[in-house]
Amino acid sequence: MADDVTKKQKKLAGNTLFTHFIMFGSSGSRVLNVINISYLQSRSKRVWVRKPLGSPMAKSKIFRITPKPALPEDEKAEIKRLFDNYKNSMKSIRQYFFEQSLKQAESGEVAQTKHRLEDQEHEQLVEENRLENEKTAMLREEKLKIQAEKTQQNVLASLIKKEGEAKLHEIQIEAFLTKQMCTPFIQAENIEKAIEDALANPVNFNFALDLDGYIYRGKDTSIDTIPEEKRERLSRN
Amino acid sequence: MASALPTFTKIGKVIRLNRHGCTNRPFYHIVVQKTKDNQDGPVIEQVGSFDAMPNSKNEKLVALNFERIQYWLAQGAGLSDPVAQLLGLSGFLPNHPRTLIQAWKNRREPPRERKIKAIKGIAPPLDNPKL
Repeated sequence: MADDVTKKQKKLAGNTLFTHFIMFGSSGSRVLNVINISYLQSRSKRVWVRKPLGSPMAKSKIFRITPKPALPEDEKAEIKRLFDNYKNSMKSIRQYFFEQSLKQAESGEVAQTKHRLEDQEHEQLVEENRLENEKTAMLREEKLKIQAEKTQQNVLASLIKKEGEAKLHEIQIEAFLTKQMCTPFIQAENIEKAIEDALANPVNFNFALDLDGYIYRGKDTSIDTIPEEKRERLSRN
Repeated sequence: MASALPTFTKIGKVIRLNRHGCTNRPFYHIVVQKTKDNQDGPVIEQVGSFDAMPNSKNEKLVALNFERIQYWLAQGAGLSDPVAQLLGLSGFLPNHPRTLIQAWKNRREPPRERKIKAIKGIAPPLDNPKL
């Protein structure tokens, strides 16, 4: 096995693919991406990485046929059986170890102390919460009292107001009714007299008004025919 | 069938051998490392040691911290084959098939003549024909 050998490919006729390449990777850093750096200095020999993909096959290896190790069938079967049994038992052993670790984590001292501390903390917090709730309850009660008083007062005031309004309304109704009663309604007794009066005094609604306040009665009245002195002044009744 | 076995998801950590020692004198640390790290890169925890050279009494000494190994296996760490073999031989885990296969191969044909005595057991035999 060659240690610390850097291969140099000599210039072939026309072929100068690789003049010099190092196939040994340096330990302590990855070949592809330098993530993992060993902080402890290591002076071990360089590790074989792999032959570059474009490089040709070595002359000594072109016609090599590797001897394939042919095992008899029973041996293969025996090997398979051994490995299957081993894998089965390893799986179950790993599972068992895992469960044991869980149990230990639950029952161990660390877990117990943790549980105890957590319970204490919980109690403290519950107590704190209770006190806080009480405080806020007191405040809330006071506020509610004040609010209740206010609402009571408001309601009283509104009730009084409504009463006053109702009285006013009544008075107004009475006034209106009396006024209505005063107007001369035509009853059954007065009907004949009313008819005769109406017939005797016909009302003429045809008139015109002036901006100066003069009234001109009659449908066919012409303004020019009436002199200025005899104009009728509109009076408010 | 148990559902969602968390131990089987890969956590990216592995228990394997780290070669220390000097030239022609290997000494392995059994170590928990991230799979991506190099063999001599940063180590999470050392969990044992394995001396591949037999001592004056023809013993190969192995040290194993079973409690910590159990912890890491419970977390889901992988095992490399040599470490699995060692644990099997120690009795902590069932015997690895490789030990049995190597044993019957050794029994079947004796190893060829070598100038340097071959190390029998877990370390693989020398392959260099020049030795």
